[in-house]
Amino acid sequence: MHIEDLAVSLQAVSHQFGDFAALTEVDCALQPGQLLALLGHNGAGKSTLLKVILGLIDPSHGQVTVLGQRLSAHNRKPMNIGYLPENISFYDKLTGHELLSYFAALKGVGQVRVNRLIEEFGLQYAQHKPLKGYSKGMKQRLGIAQAILAEPQLLLLDEPTVGLDPQASEFLYQKIQSLTQLGCAVMVSTHELNLIEPQLDVAMVMGQGRNLATGPMDSLVKQSQLPVTIRFDDMIRRVTRYNHLAAFYHNGALRCPVAETESLVEYLTTQCHIFDFEIEKPGLSALYQELMAPMQQNDEQGIVFQPVNQTVLVGA
Amino acid sequence: MNSQTLRVAPNPVWIIANKELKDSLRNRWVSVITFIFMLLSFSVTFAGSAISAELALPNLPSLITSLSTMTVFIIPLAAILLSYDAYIGEEEAGTMLLLLSYPLTKQQIFIGKLVAHSGIMLAAISLAFGCSAVAMLLWSEASSAAVISAFFQFIVSSSLLAVTFILISYLVSLHVSEKAKAVGTLLSLWFLLVLVYDLLLLALLVADLGSSSQALVNVLMALNPTDIYRAINLLAVDSPMGSLSLLADTAWGIELLYGLSIAWVACLAMLASQSFARKSI
Repeated sequence: MHIEDLAVSLQAVSHQFGDFAALTEVDCALQPGQLLALLGHNGAGKSTLLKVILGLIDPSHGQVTVLGQRLSAHNRKPMNIGYLPENISFYDKLTGHELLSYFAALKGVGQVRVNRLIEEFGLQYAQHKPLKGYSKGMKQRLGIAQAILAEPQLLLLDEPTVGLDPQASEFLYQKIQSLTQLGCAVMVSTHELNLIEPQLDVAMVMGQGRNLATGPMDSLVKQSQLPVTIRFDDMIRRVTRYNHLAAFYHNGALRCPVAETESLVEYLTTQCHIFDFEIEKPGLSALYQELMAPMQQNDEQGIVFQPVNQTVLVGA
Repeated sequence: MNSQTLRVAPNPVWIIANKELKDSLRNRWVSVITFIFMLLSFSVTFAGSAISAELALPNLPSLITSLSTMTVFIIPLAAILLSYDAYIGEEEAGTMLLLLSYPLTKQQIFIGKLVAHSGIMLAAISLAFGCSAVAMLLWSEASSAAVISAFFQFIVSSSLLAVTFILISYLVSLHVSEKAKAVGTLLSLWFLLVLVYDLLLLALLVADLGSSSQALVNVLMALNPTDIYRAINLLAVDSPMGSLSLLADTAWGIELLYGLSIAWVACLAMLASQSFARKSI
């Protein structure tokens, strides 16, 4: 796919705040209709990266292309991007309807769309009440409605589920899913790995301003050193019967590297005639922990982390 | 995605100004400020009537001098309280970052806020002191032309003073890290410019330092917008009273004083606008 066809393309993007390297050689590519989960500890550079994509920060080095346009803070062009910053509290004195109308006017969006979104996000009953009376969940819903006012081609959400109850988070991800189905590229910075895992197309893990890994879950799992777990009934008895399985037996389950999963499954079915097994691939949380482990060790020793070559460019 | 609903935004400056106005109305700032100004205006205008138990309005120069002596304290304070959180408030709430992600320039945001805040102060000043002008037109012996001219000067100079302090508030709001610090810094500045500086200048004036020090006094006066305001209103009615009359001895005409006042507004507007343009959110 050409860079012009991508929703976001970052090539070797770096940015310094004085002596502090906020971003170092970050690469990323996001296709229309994809959901990218931007993961990393606090201070990893996620919010800075979103600001670079919005054109609010001109990176020190590298090339940023958003919706086919080369971007710089000095040459900002109006683009159809929706954004919801982290921990936004809006204007307490305005009503929900007034707030959406204000942002709609700034984007040149009509009242019909405002009313439709208020209805879609279930805020009709509170639309004429001041925002100071809104719960966190209601404000976040309003925030998302604000971000999609102009039916954006790219949606950037900075920790949108912080402080939300499970129901509100689920509602939000349903909305995100429907947007990606319509072709909107979505980038979500989040710490809630379990919530985003079923939805994401691409995960991007950042640490100390560096891109530690980017790619679809399957690719990242394949590259990781994490074992795949295989379970079946009456395991110990069957494992002892087939010597080859003992090599993989550990702590009540068979564990093997991702690369050997296929041959082990073939052995199970053809040699052992075991068909009732369950394969557990490592999840996003395990993957994240593995990627972050060397960083945490280095943090304790005061060493700046140098990432291994794990980056997978998607669609580039 | 379908982007047919996207239209060119009408005028971002007016949209922002309208929102700021709505916000201030909800905050009841507009009504509180107008009420205080009106109370002040009527108290000064009808104070004599209360004492003599019959309708006795002061003469025009006395009224304008008395009003300006009071408003020099109140107008800067009202302007500060109206606009101290114009930038730091939005930054703390996260809305400034959101606004900047919109197809807007920082200049449009700046002008929108300035138009709204200046408009609110202008409306409050005009309404409150306009009522005194009407009272003077109806019941005083002064000629209509003199009353209209004096109050017009008073309202224009008061509005310039208000805009000056709105811009000072913007500058502080753009440079502090939290709202409380903005209030603290601005109240200190108010205390310094309106009370301390003024008292020192008046002390210097009454100390009879000789004509050679008049140039120094002029420079010192030009360095404080509140003293320029005092001098404009003393010169405008041409009948200064007491120690304040020394302020009107500037040998600078009223036009030059207005020029200085406008220069303050222009310089502060440029500084605040540049600070906002350079500020990274």
